[in-house]
Amino acid sequence: MTDELWTIGAGVAGLSVIGFLGGVLLHYASKVFSVDGNPLVNSIDALLPQTQCGQCGHPGCKPYAEAIAGGEPINRCPPGGQNTVDRLAGLLGVDTLPLDADDAMIEQDLVAIIIEKDCIGCTKCIQACPVDAIVGAAKLMHTVIVDECTGCDLCVEPCPVDCIDMIPRPKSPDYWMPARPDVISSDRFGQIGMQHG
Amino acid sequence: MADYQIHRCERQLEGGIYPETHKAPSTTDSCVFVDDPKRLVFPIHFSGGGPGEALVAVGATVFQGTPIIKCQSGITHVASRSGKVIEITDHAITHPSATKSASIIIEPNGLKDQDYLDPLVWPFDADTLRNRAIEVGILGLGGAGFPSFKKWSDGTQTLIINGAECEPYLAADDTLMRIDTHSMIRGACMLSQSLDIKTIIIGIEDNKPEALEAIESALKEFRSDCFFDVVLLDTKYPSGSERHLIWLTLGIEVPTGSRAVESGIIVHNPGTLAALSRAIDGKPITDRIVTLTGEALSTPQNVIVPIGTPISHLIEAADTTPESLASITVGGPMMGYPVTDFTAGITKTTNCLLAREVEMPPESPCIRCGACATACPVRLQPQQMIFALKGGSLDRAILEGLTDCIECAACNAVCPSHIPLAEWFRLGRFEARDKVNDQRLAAEARERFEARNLRLERIALEKEAKRAARQAKTADALEKARKARKESA
Repeated sequence: MTDELWTIGAGVAGLSVIGFLGGVLLHYASKVFSVDGNPLVNSIDALLPQTQCGQCGHPGCKPYAEAIAGGEPINRCPPGGQNTVDRLAGLLGVDTLPLDADDAMIEQDLVAIIIEKDCIGCTKCIQACPVDAIVGAAKLMHTVIVDECTGCDLCVEPCPVDCIDMIPRPKSPDYWMPARPDVISSDRFGQIGMQHG
Repeated sequence: MADYQIHRCERQLEGGIYPETHKAPSTTDSCVFVDDPKRLVFPIHFSGGGPGEALVAVGATVFQGTPIIKCQSGITHVASRSGKVIEITDHAITHPSATKSASIIIEPNGLKDQDYLDPLVWPFDADTLRNRAIEVGILGLGGAGFPSFKKWSDGTQTLIINGAECEPYLAADDTLMRIDTHSMIRGACMLSQSLDIKTIIIGIEDNKPEALEAIESALKEFRSDCFFDVVLLDTKYPSGSERHLIWLTLGIEVPTGSRAVESGIIVHNPGTLAALSRAIDGKPITDRIVTLTGEALSTPQNVIVPIGTPISHLIEAADTTPESLASITVGGPMMGYPVTDFTAGITKTTNCLLAREVEMPPESPCIRCGACATACPVRLQPQQMIFALKGGSLDRAILEGLTDCIECAACNAVCPSHIPLAEWFRLGRFEARDKVNDQRLAAEARERFEARNLRLERIALEKEAKRAARQAKTADALEKARKARKESA
């Protein structure tokens, strides 16, 4: 009888030790392999266009990604367009929403350009640029690094002499896109479907 | 006599199709020169090698071989005939975009003034050869126009000459291999010796017995340290695709997303190597062989023409009035594209002008027969990709392997519903390329945004620290002053 008690006691003690060691191991593993930040925020951020324009009401794309992870509506990103809203809906497993923006704001690929003869070198636009795409120094002419400009237009408003314009993003002279093959068949397919339905 | 062997390829191309070749009409007669046209057209941004800039001004006199365009990649394009630059203006171009683009128009004066470079004298190293290729403007003359010098990396083991020419109707490479065999082999040897390549493989389809004969007799006469391995391929489309040719001749699969060069293999068109041979002698690319063919042309033939010759001039050379044709296909029937403005000039990559009237039956719905999947030489599922693309899901299509598609159009040829699959895939591939570009820009913007935030934070902290230090200093001084006053009191 005592022997049996001993056996049971030893078993319980042994399992407790294993459990304890496992717990310690898991604790360290959770520290060593922990992912920085909320992984969902990073996946959301990856879908946002990184314009850093603040039209969503947040100071940049990452803060908006955090807000979406916290439950904010997904349709507040005009530069991303409806496409981005749909993708976010897909990622988050929610119903997609119509984009919350004026038509004029949607999906225009623009860049800022400084009219250099009018620039007075006040550095206000440099301070406003969220991606450091404007170079210049006080009382010297500024200019936009076109390749780095995200077209957020945050620099336009602070300019005291209105010397910043938004223009369509310049394309390489050999840029082209093939025409869309006509989609008559899918239309016809739709009609056939309707007749049968 | 060079060391060589001729043998049949033991591997089989998976997928692919056996189209009617239609090569005989243009190759029955020998290759001829065409009278110089009245004007030559050189597009500044679309001559191959990326967007460029004009090196000459209106009114300038140019000689045959004078550099006129310099591209971003460094490639220089030269005037193909001596004459005068009469205009630099937006002009129709030989390009699938069918747009007008800035072009240099030259009026030839019929003189034989030449502006050639000094011949290179053996021995020269690979860098000398690269510079020469840039100076004379050597591009892949097979059709893609990839700057050849970018393929010539050290550590390459094999050079493959792509003489497959698997597209129906095309016979420009066939013709070149018949009449310019020595230049081709000499170019290949020069390139191999400067890059220390020991094996040269010539891949050629078995429907070109005359070219094969010419190659064999040339190899018998030629002295070289390189070993020539002539591989006879089945006449199956698309055995001339770079990746497929490498698989057929060497049994190596080039991994997706990497270039053949990274596997130690260079593939060149015969014309490119012949041009290289002449470049070593100092002669830039001024002419090329173009196949004029198709049922709508009265006399199909292969011609040697100056680069920049307007298409209309060549249609006339084939005894046909340009007005009788609505459009002409540039390239073969599988991968070619239509051009409707015949004032456009041929470029270095124009290998064929194909005039025929094909009544394309209207597209019908997909019946899910799977014929396209059987025909696809890349083992993709074209029907899945087209569903995704038509449904607007580029991501899904990329997941199905869209970026591996070589746009060979074998799927188009077998589709019983006449769905233009390859056109969709081409559009999808362009969109995918744009998407990758956008993603890169977004990643860069994110990085800059985060770096800026960190910097602003650091500056704010520094300011805060300075302010605290200043406050502490003031408090200290006040304390001292107070103490001093107390003591004096």
